[in-house]
Amino acid sequence: MNTGLNVEALEYFNEVTEDPCREARLWKEKTDGRVIGFLLTDVPEELIHAAGFFPYGISGGKKWLSLSDAHLQTWTCSYIRSSFAMALGGEYDFFDGLVIPQRCDESRMVMGIWKNQRPLALMDNFRPLRQVGRPSANRYFLRELDRFKKGLEGLRGSEITDEELKESIKLYNSNRDLLSRLFDLHRRDPSLISSKELYNIVVASMIIPRDKLNEKLTSLLGTLKPNPESEANGKIKIFISGTFLEPLEIADFIEETGGVVVGDDLKNGSRYFDGNVAEEGDLMQNLVDRQVKKMPSASFDDFANPRSDYLVNTARGNGADGVLLLHLKYCEPENYDYLDMKTALEEAGIPVQKLETEFGQTSLGQLQTRVQAFMEMLGGVDLV
Amino acid sequence: MSNKRRAKPFKTTAFMKELMAKYYADGAAAAEAGIPVAWVTAVSPVELVYAAGMFPYYPENFGAVASARKIADKLSVVAESKGYSHDLCGYARCGIGDAYASEHPVGEIVKPNMLFGCNTQCGTLAKWFEVASRYYKAPYFLLDTPQVVQDPDDSVTSYYLEQLYEFIAFLEDFTGKKFSFDKLNEVLYYANEACRLWNEILDTAALKPAPFGFFEACFHMFPIVTMRGTKDAVDYYQALRDEVYERIEEKTFVVDDEQFKIYFDHIPLWPRLRWFSDIFAEHKAMIAVSLYTHSWAYSFDLDRPMESLAEQYTREFVNRFFDYRIDLKLDLMRRYNVDGFILFSNRSCKPNAIGLYDKQNILSREMGIPGVIFEADMSDLRFFSEEQVLNELRPFFEQLKATAR
Repeated sequence: MNTGLNVEALEYFNEVTEDPCREARLWKEKTDGRVIGFLLTDVPEELIHAAGFFPYGISGGKKWLSLSDAHLQTWTCSYIRSSFAMALGGEYDFFDGLVIPQRCDESRMVMGIWKNQRPLALMDNFRPLRQVGRPSANRYFLRELDRFKKGLEGLRGSEITDEELKESIKLYNSNRDLLSRLFDLHRRDPSLISSKELYNIVVASMIIPRDKLNEKLTSLLGTLKPNPESEANGKIKIFISGTFLEPLEIADFIEETGGVVVGDDLKNGSRYFDGNVAEEGDLMQNLVDRQVKKMPSASFDDFANPRSDYLVNTARGNGADGVLLLHLKYCEPENYDYLDMKTALEEAGIPVQKLETEFGQTSLGQLQTRVQAFMEMLGGVDLV
Repeated sequence: MSNKRRAKPFKTTAFMKELMAKYYADGAAAAEAGIPVAWVTAVSPVELVYAAGMFPYYPENFGAVASARKIADKLSVVAESKGYSHDLCGYARCGIGDAYASEHPVGEIVKPNMLFGCNTQCGTLAKWFEVASRYYKAPYFLLDTPQVVQDPDDSVTSYYLEQLYEFIAFLEDFTGKKFSFDKLNEVLYYANEACRLWNEILDTAALKPAPFGFFEACFHMFPIVTMRGTKDAVDYYQALRDEVYERIEEKTFVVDDEQFKIYFDHIPLWPRLRWFSDIFAEHKAMIAVSLYTHSWAYSFDLDRPMESLAEQYTREFVNRFFDYRIDLKLDLMRRYNVDGFILFSNRSCKPNAIGLYDKQNILSREMGIPGVIFEADMSDLRFFSEEQVLNELRPFFEQLKATAR
């Protein structure tokens, strides 16, 4: 048991996600600055930050869910539905802008509805790449980033300087380094911090002022001292793949049955802090490069590095005993990948289980039962 | 309803059957003749594929045929048994299901030698083709098309144009033959002619009474979608156009005693097309126009063919933002002087269905005419309830009658 754990810092992250608008509202009151919300994933937050704005990453909502019914069919993605419901409920009234990266049909179509219902000063349809294998991709994405930057400059009333962008890139790189370190420590000694707390910190990191995030993370990391013995602690190593870890309790269900999460490719996980932006040279090009080199996802598959290969290699590299595919109900891109991923993992001898999830899902018991069954199959013991 | 007198069938129907048979025979014979089969999506520059001497095959069309023959659910179940969800696009479920199926009641989907996918219409096609390229072990070229939010968008057009040249290089590499721009211009000339004739035919739906409407368009759209760029398509629409004008002369109209014109959004309810059209005929209402059948209205500039392809395909409504889609609906409603509108909340076509609830309010406000949304699936009858759809339509017809008084 780790006794030097900075409980206060951990508590802070829990409070942040329990009241997800608190920090951003406080910041706005104090600085009279602007808050720009964004849907996950692949939004170049560095540019928003460089403009002096607060980039607010939306991780779905748990309130006001039924308000979406009049606008979005019940068979649309619950991440989009629950996020939009929060806006309809007035939770995001303090936003000055919204960025929706077009990553699927829902994210491509929801902005018009949002704009119609809750207009904001800046509403940006950010259009990331769908292919990265050909020269046209780089040139287009540079133009798209430039367009995005100009929209922010328009709201601010002045240009974003190279110095400002460089500072923001540095700050974000340090955020990502700290989050990566935290995940590394957790992999080395899972007893330091629970898997659920780990992912809770990622969610919190998107809604905390960046300098404060570094302060809290540094303070937490300072107290985490891995025990070199604990690597062989006999836990069952689970890699989680999909769009979101939602609800976060799934991580608890894994741990209760003798498991530990050793890696992921999730929007509210590793995908968020995967890869840094080079701090020298052409900074806009460096932002493009980060995106192009990102880990594959259902909406972003480099044919030279298919997601199923990536998944097998990464799960293996992390010594995973099994892979849990977190399938957000109604997520088309994710569903199209399922069979190929499952087949590739099975051929590689890695047990795999699909778990269907939904934002606003109330029946945690069912999820728990399914996770338990998978863990039992992998030789886990019911420790509850 | 069943004893409803229907207008006599079009003479060109025989021509259509001949063209379809030829198209499918060509597809089946392609492999033997050494002609590569390229899978293509409906809103993509198929002109390049025709110009390269390949056979373009539309898996979406396979989906529509399977849906109309009421077997989408059966093919879907095969796909579902592999782990594909019944929440995916019905066409994709038909295509994937058929790949794994042991029985092929509407014929087997033609296997691709390469896939040319485009995400203008939706993300589903891009993913479906990705899955298929792995299944069939055939190379996949994705023509990435970011949404045009504000027109013009030079960045998107240049990206598209650059990719057209990348695709030509890909084609040359694949076929081992130099791409012919002369051939492309010939194809574009035919595409222009077919589009011109098609839209001339569609426009006759504005006449009251009209000789041609939405359901006729659904039946006669096969060549404009799949054979756009061939002389056959031009010949077909020339013949159809002549026949439509003959019908105007001899006063053969779609609906007896037509009283109302209706706007429809967007893809038809394939498995119940006849049932659906009879309901409207019974109420003396004619569906005159839809975004779906009006999607093929290209006019390429032969002096700058590649630029023209990039401009027109990126600006298609399927690749446009909410506001433009509303403006386009309003424009069509006004042009055809409609009395009401029907919006199909089609769970198999998310990009077109999402936003309809808000659009209904905006369209009603702008037009001041009755409008209704109904819920179903374009392919799969498991997501269709006759009673529910009738309940959704009933108040609409009552309102429509009230406006006529």
